[in-house]
Amino acid sequence: MAGSFILRRIGVALATIAAIVLLNFVLFRLMPGSPERVILHGTPRVTPEILEATRERWGLNDPLLPIVIDQSGISFAAENQFTKYLAATVQGDLGYSFVARGQTVGAVLAQRIWPTVLLFGLGEIIAIAAGLALGAYSGWRRGGPIDFVGNGVSLLLYATPYFLLGMVLLMLFGVALRWFPIFGMQTAGATYDGPIEQLLDLGSHLVLPVATVALGLIGQYAIVMRSSIVETLSEDYITTARAMGLREGRILRGHAVPNALLPTVSLVAINLGYVVAGAITVEVVFSWPGLGTLTVEALQARDYPVLQGVFLLLSISVVVANLLADLIYGLLDPRVRT
Amino acid sequence: MRTSIRARLAAAGAVVGLLLSSAAPAVAPVAAADHLILRAGTDQDLQVLNPFSSILVVDFEVFTLNYDLLVNFGADLEPVPGFADSWEVSADGLTWTFHIREGMKWSDGTPATSEDALYTFQLILDATEKSNASEDGFYLGAGYLEGYHTNAGVIGATAPDPQTLVVETEFASQLLLQAYVPILPKHVWSSYTLEEIGSAEGAEPFLNEPPIVGTGPYQVVEWKPGEFIRYARNPEYWGENGAADEVILLTFESADTMVQALKTGDVDYVRGIQPEQFEALQSEPDIQVVEGISNGYSQIAFNTYSRGPIEGGGASTTALQDPAFRDALAWAIDQAKLVEVTLGGHGAPGDTNVPPYHTLWHVSPDKPRTFDLEEAKRRLDAAGYTLNAEGKRLDKEGKPIVLRVTWPDSEAENATNAQFIQEWWSQIGVGVDAFVTEEGKLLEDLLPPEGGGVANFDIELWGWVGDADPTSLLNVLRSEEIGSFSDSFWENDRYDELFLLQRAEGDATKRFEYIKEMQNVFYDEAPYIILYYDAELHAYRTDKFSNWSLQPSKGGTPLFGYGSIGYTKLTDANAVPTPGPTSAGGPTAAPTPAPSGDGAPSGGGDQTTTLLVVGAAVVGVVAFLLLRRRRSATEEE
Repeated sequence: MAGSFILRRIGVALATIAAIVLLNFVLFRLMPGSPERVILHGTPRVTPEILEATRERWGLNDPLLPIVIDQSGISFAAENQFTKYLAATVQGDLGYSFVARGQTVGAVLAQRIWPTVLLFGLGEIIAIAAGLALGAYSGWRRGGPIDFVGNGVSLLLYATPYFLLGMVLLMLFGVALRWFPIFGMQTAGATYDGPIEQLLDLGSHLVLPVATVALGLIGQYAIVMRSSIVETLSEDYITTARAMGLREGRILRGHAVPNALLPTVSLVAINLGYVVAGAITVEVVFSWPGLGTLTVEALQARDYPVLQGVFLLLSISVVVANLLADLIYGLLDPRVRT
Repeated sequence: MRTSIRARLAAAGAVVGLLLSSAAPAVAPVAAADHLILRAGTDQDLQVLNPFSSILVVDFEVFTLNYDLLVNFGADLEPVPGFADSWEVSADGLTWTFHIREGMKWSDGTPATSEDALYTFQLILDATEKSNASEDGFYLGAGYLEGYHTNAGVIGATAPDPQTLVVETEFASQLLLQAYVPILPKHVWSSYTLEEIGSAEGAEPFLNEPPIVGTGPYQVVEWKPGEFIRYARNPEYWGENGAADEVILLTFESADTMVQALKTGDVDYVRGIQPEQFEALQSEPDIQVVEGISNGYSQIAFNTYSRGPIEGGGASTTALQDPAFRDALAWAIDQAKLVEVTLGGHGAPGDTNVPPYHTLWHVSPDKPRTFDLEEAKRRLDAAGYTLNAEGKRLDKEGKPIVLRVTWPDSEAENATNAQFIQEWWSQIGVGVDAFVTEEGKLLEDLLPPEGGGVANFDIELWGWVGDADPTSLLNVLRSEEIGSFSDSFWENDRYDELFLLQRAEGDATKRFEYIKEMQNVFYDEAPYIILYYDAELHAYRTDKFSNWSLQPSKGGTPLFGYGSIGYTKLTDANAVPTPGPTSAGGPTAAPTPAPSGDGAPSGGGDQTTTLLVVGAAVVGVVAFLLLRRRRSATEEE
């Protein structure tokens, strides 16, 4: 039974990814303006012959889809844009960047993915640990001082956009107090005595952006965890546990928290999509060389192949995160494994 | 109102800053104090090291530090010795002889000779030949650099001896001296094919990764895409040495963060700041702001296409072909108002198509217009554009004139300009239908039949950016460019004739007269109305480096100009007891080093840290005790 559950979930995820790949194809072909003008943008002296040659070279003269419907009826086109796109995408070939001349989209993405994973991985871990702990404690001690302050702060953080939060941290701890560097991933031009010093430099550059990400998420996680705990604590089995004379700590850890975790797991997974949107603003504020700044650069420069690559990567990561959430959900709550 | 959040943030930051002004420098490790690093921030991304892939201003800045041009640019963009230290042209203007500096070496110690210059010239000749032969639009990378040689008429080059390069041109032209083409080391580059250098489809592209070998003052030693490019001083550099031992160009997506980094001293120079940041920085200690004028303009372009009607496109009225009509509309535009509102007061009202940036070539028009709605009405009446019963102007066909005004979505500020124009022109009876167009679509709409399009627009608002020489800006209005560069489709025989005359003229005084007449013909005929010349807002710190010099010397900026001159003139602000800034007129350097990111953490910072840590610990302990008590209380319930 468990096996078929996992297979079904993976099947749904794969179907979603297929839909994304299709959407990615359609979306970028719905953009106004013809692609050869965009490819040649910035290239002087473009004659109609060159435009035509560019269309030919980039395969833009081929039909869009394998099935062509025109006056002569329905025909099949072996050379078409969709099949080529599909074959290339499956092989991991995302094409060339328009702007970073000579570099493939894959190479451009590879340079930028790890800074983002590092930043958001750390931010998420801290937010999950701190947010859930804060939420669980607030819910358990409802009406207490921690709940009062924690709930207020959580709401405030929840409501603050990333760039504002980032700017406040930057002004406070970067500019006024000068505790932490305010931009980049490393001190440009620094010479290090050893790997530990280099790691410390990276660490100090991580503090403010990670704090921004974590603080932005802690609020949401705490609020959901709190209400979930409050609800769980009113369940009959908690009363039973209390009646059995179990210690409060044991009830919380052994009975309330595991059950209350369920809604937060899906929240964390669903959030990943929004986190990536937030990534753009956090990375922009701190000049963090990740996917967020890359997206902004690609948008400004109309680097469609890179944008297409970013979209694909982000949507797949959201799907994968949701799949993981489903699987964890199954582990936590056997009832969903049907 | 796009400024409001930023302004509020700045205000909040100032308050926080006041509260915590006893703060200490950052903890980041930096290099030894006697090793001077110049850090310059820009809002553009650092994407390419291969000069042929250059598109953005910063790309050009990147390669001009690495390499010399055959002839470099001086303080007023005049030709000065570069890879060649002298040159002469034959009497017919077709043969140029360049004398390469003796004893010059590449940064790796290899002798730099005319063979290297020949290699570079031949590379571009080969690329042009390949492009012409295959008709598949082959370009060396972005395709920007070949034009400097083809427009100068280069058809061949030879190197009779290691110190001499002879270049043959098809026609007499001064443009060769303004060619923005880096001379590349043959011993490095010749191991790559034309396709690899040009990032052609299917070839393994040559990215020119560090360490780069060049003859310029600084050489790239480290490249972090999207983050920074780091240069070390070239030990073999033949020219004047700047005070910086290293140069780092950094990219910032957020201008706010960049400005903060300037304030903390983490960067020494910033390019591309916003007007409100510019105002705020004016009162900062040790910071000098520079309002340079940009080498370009923003214009209204009229669709003057007059080679017959275009099926499915063209302008909505023939009135746009009439210079008198365009002239009248120009009287109904208050350029000073647009500078004030759209540019926040930074910039200059426009007149001719050669911006004042070209200090040697710009002239004010002989018959200048002012903002005068009554005059505009008089001129429309005189030209036969009468009002109908509803107060609308009619064209010669008796149709009410409603002009479609559009601009690319990449230039949001033109929405403001369009609103004003709509208002002013409505007062003289000319209707305006204003709307934004996606840039890719607009590029297509602007193509005339000669370029494979239908020129489906009346008026577009956009801009051009020029070269060190005014030729490229003059070129976009030639009738020969209809189908490629021209987006007004204006045709004027005198202008076309003058263009060729000025291009061939070696005598600067005579050339000035030609260019002056071109500017006046342009202004009177008004195929464009130049709305304004944008400003370049830069700022720099004065406590680390001094002798920031402007290029051009009037209205220029210290860095991000043409060539490496701004970097090589810098001096150490703390080494010289009597620093004298040349033309910037900024505050002189402080005798005592100001606190910056380069110092060790001071005691104040440690105390603050300790206090906070202790404070946090106390709060923690108290909270723990409180909670402990509550917990036992609960358990007793």
